[in-house]
Amino acid sequence: MDPGDAHLRRGAVRVAIITLSYRYLERLTGVDRGTIIERLPMIGADIERVEEDHADVEFFPDRPDLYSPEGVARAMRGFLGIEVGLPVYDVHPSGITFSVDPGLADIRPCLGSAVIRNVNLDEESIESLMGLQEALHWAVGRGRGKVAIGVHDLDAVRPPFHYIASPRDRSFVPLDFEREMTMEEILVDHPKGRDYAHLVENFPRFPLIVDADDRVLSFPPIINGELTRVTTATKNILLDCTGTDRKAVMTAVNIICTALAEAGASIESVSVDGEEMPTLAPSERLVSVEECSSLLGIPLTPGEMTRLLGRMRFGAEPADDSRIRVEIPCYRADILHDWDIFEDVAIAYGFENFDATLPAVSTIAVEHPVTRIERAARAVMTGLGYLEMIPFTLTNERVLYTNMQRPPLPGTLRLLHPISEEQTVVRTDLLPLLMEALLANKHRDLPQRLFAVGDVVEDCLTYQKVAAVSIHPAADFSEAYAAADVLCRELSIGYSVRESADPAFIDGRRGDIVLDGKVVGVFGEIHPAVLRAFDLEHPVAALALDLRAVPGYPAPPGTPSPGGR
Amino acid sequence: MELTQNEKKLLVALAPLGSADATTLAERMKTRPEAVVQYANLASERGLVEVEKHVALRYLPTEEGQAYIGKGLPERQLFESFGDAIPMRDLQKHPLAKIGIGWMRRKGWITIRDGVVHRTGNAPPGPDEVVFARLGETGEVPAGEEGLLDLVKRGLIREEEAVNYTISLTPAGRDLLAAGLDLREEVGTLTREQILSGAWESLPLRRYDVTKLPRRVYPGKTHPYQRLIDEMRRVLFDMGFAEMSGGIVQSSFWNFDALFQPQDHPAREMQDTFFLAERWPLPEGYERVRDMHEHGGDTSSTGWGGRWSAEKAQQCVLRTHTTGLSIQHLAVHREPPVKAFCIGRVYRREAIDPTHLAEFEQLEGIVMDETVNFRHLLGFLKEFYAKMGFDKVRFRPGYFPYTEPSVEPEVYVEGLGWVELGGAGIFREEVTAPFGIEHPVLAWGLGISRVAMLRLGLRDLRHLYRSDVEWIRETPIYGGGR
Repeated sequence: MDPGDAHLRRGAVRVAIITLSYRYLERLTGVDRGTIIERLPMIGADIERVEEDHADVEFFPDRPDLYSPEGVARAMRGFLGIEVGLPVYDVHPSGITFSVDPGLADIRPCLGSAVIRNVNLDEESIESLMGLQEALHWAVGRGRGKVAIGVHDLDAVRPPFHYIASPRDRSFVPLDFEREMTMEEILVDHPKGRDYAHLVENFPRFPLIVDADDRVLSFPPIINGELTRVTTATKNILLDCTGTDRKAVMTAVNIICTALAEAGASIESVSVDGEEMPTLAPSERLVSVEECSSLLGIPLTPGEMTRLLGRMRFGAEPADDSRIRVEIPCYRADILHDWDIFEDVAIAYGFENFDATLPAVSTIAVEHPVTRIERAARAVMTGLGYLEMIPFTLTNERVLYTNMQRPPLPGTLRLLHPISEEQTVVRTDLLPLLMEALLANKHRDLPQRLFAVGDVVEDCLTYQKVAAVSIHPAADFSEAYAAADVLCRELSIGYSVRESADPAFIDGRRGDIVLDGKVVGVFGEIHPAVLRAFDLEHPVAALALDLRAVPGYPAPPGTPSPGGR
Repeated sequence: MELTQNEKKLLVALAPLGSADATTLAERMKTRPEAVVQYANLASERGLVEVEKHVALRYLPTEEGQAYIGKGLPERQLFESFGDAIPMRDLQKHPLAKIGIGWMRRKGWITIRDGVVHRTGNAPPGPDEVVFARLGETGEVPAGEEGLLDLVKRGLIREEEAVNYTISLTPAGRDLLAAGLDLREEVGTLTREQILSGAWESLPLRRYDVTKLPRRVYPGKTHPYQRLIDEMRRVLFDMGFAEMSGGIVQSSFWNFDALFQPQDHPAREMQDTFFLAERWPLPEGYERVRDMHEHGGDTSSTGWGGRWSAEKAQQCVLRTHTTGLSIQHLAVHREPPVKAFCIGRVYRREAIDPTHLAEFEQLEGIVMDETVNFRHLLGFLKEFYAKMGFDKVRFRPGYFPYTEPSVEPEVYVEGLGWVELGGAGIFREEVTAPFGIEHPVLAWGLGISRVAMLRLGLRDLRHLYRSDVEWIRETPIYGGGR
């Protein structure tokens, strides 16, 4: 499970936060704001902020149909039982045609379009439309690469329209500018051009939308022309969605059209290379009542399930004794599988109404052999009076190698895109990180005896080490040897020792722990130059041990194959 | 009244004198004056002696002053260096000219006319010179001498506080002495011989003052965070879960593709995940995962559509969750029931601040069995959180790419209200089917550093990984409940 996905939505990645005005939402749903705020989280939303006249709400990335107040109202009316079942949208042909240049096949082949008539736009609704467009660019369009959306004042241009692969030096006046610019100039000088240049700059020709008079409507996915700017005076809209994925393009068309239809506009289809679109028609699935019942753990009759689906705005009717025919609204991009429908049944049922219970299944706990060994190492080290540290696994070569006077290990993993100079590699040893911990605790009373047990990685292979340091004026080789010896004895490692050549330690005061002819650990007195590199002022007795030397350590955990069915 | 041996010795030393200063007593007792004062303070608490503190000021030459001892102040030395008159130019060659000329003029010993310095008379020594001369003879002078403060101001003499103590017997002390003291050495640590011979019976055993705090010692300890992790492991063991463990480095295949995360999902971009240059070969049977992405395989799923790239799936990442381990575990443990958990470090490409780290621990649990369902998932969550001390739990719909239905549990924390703590759901069939897993898999996870912050009262997550030794020393092993 990845609770971090929530963290991801809020963190570095863009967030789809929709501003919902209470007045507009109350008008669309017919219920008061208190009810809306209270019930909204139960259809799947996080209320980020509640203000005097609006709320900022974050919806999940699988539900772009909720990225507009009209979409939210549509869902809430169903959830609250005000208006249930499939919303039906009428579509009449506009008679307008749109051609697609075959030269776009390798550039940006897909086009979706629609005409939206009798829109009633004020500043607020224009902003809301732009907000929906931006949220769709992020959630469906993957940063405009997969889908980019343009809305135009239809009455400023003359059909038929043409989606063409244009020479790069064609010029027009882009939005927010007063002068003509070539498309190449736009990629350099227009803020949107700079943001999205990477999507087109390597193509010999650029996508362009023009009207019957060869006037430019849009340079997708970069910027529209100033010519078709949508204002409060706009009555009729031409929608273009271009992209690389037909399904995603049509999702965007359907979501925008149905949102504007909810606001009172009428939708007309456009003939794109002979195909009338959009149809705004639902798709169909036959789902099993029994399967849904047993997944959710609640007894459902076909009637009950039909009722619950209606509340989630599905069209639903029993197909036979055991199955339901479900009509999925065209704006629901998230329904990939029958279980996606079952989740909606659960939401309509109300998560708060589920009787949480434990299954009557008996299983036996098993500790993993690696954690068992780690636990044993901890027991020895704490018994010796050492305090445990849990250092970061990400570090840098200065700490790991330079300060330790050690050559870098060939199997060290380097991050391709580190976020800071402090964290550029994955640790291959724990000892240097304990040295760093000693530095961080320089102002604390001596003696300090610290240890760490944990993962290290070499050549993509994760294994575990234990390391320990002891700093005080009398720390010496004998202390390190005694600790290494008892650690090995307590972990049942039948080891031998020979003089070490590890440059992190003082020559003549260092030993390698050897098992079956292989060096599995090291101990001794840290070299004064290493002490100074970590800005330490007292002797340090130290040890490190590879826990793979412990009997019973499991064979290297390779990546298991999925096996056959 | 049980006196310490040292107090007794002090009383005995004081007996013939009645009253003496600490230095004198220290000589008689063959110890240091500070020790005498310490014994005297103990005895005075019992009313046996009186301790009087005297603070005297004494005056000692500074380093500069020391240079003039025996030679006279600079102006005197300069004055003596010429006869009735001397050209200024010549006088300035004297090493003390710089300091001396000013002072000679200020004291009225000379006048300067037309570049020539003239003596005004004999210039008898002032009080400052008298004091300075005495300092030269005795090494120090007492307070109150005329001229002393001028020399302090000139930085030739410094003031120092000298503290001395006078210790006098009180009548109670005399009575005690008169009654006689047992001066036998007190015994501290008993020896083996004293125990075996029975000598302990007649020995004066030193009594210890229990009101004095002992020396502070610390045991070796596991880290407070590790103890929390162990507590969680214990809870899961109690609930019958088996433990999983695995590599930090995973192929994108196991970290993302096997979990039905689309290849263009934002989490798979380089700004959110730590990618490595290394590649990992795809496992046998990877085609079933590919098919699932492209068209939903043999299930009721449509898949994501588009083309699935094997190339992209091979790229290694630092695991962004431990869920990849869960699916690998299930792939080789397909017989129900399976209950397993994992606590391990996961990585996110995030700038580090008090509440965000690029690496942190995550706990994950899975349950696979023939008849488990969504209600059981909620049941496990409730049970687990209750055992962790969060008695109030509620559930909201959630979204995770590889579960359906998905749920976001929230726990009630006094003072904070409802806190989102982890995520859960039932693995999508798109996740389980390619690996031949035939039964529902309940899964939940949580970032346990969040729990650590709540439980350990931390404000800065970094303290878990760059810990203050003092914090570990002072955090009790047993917190006394929650």
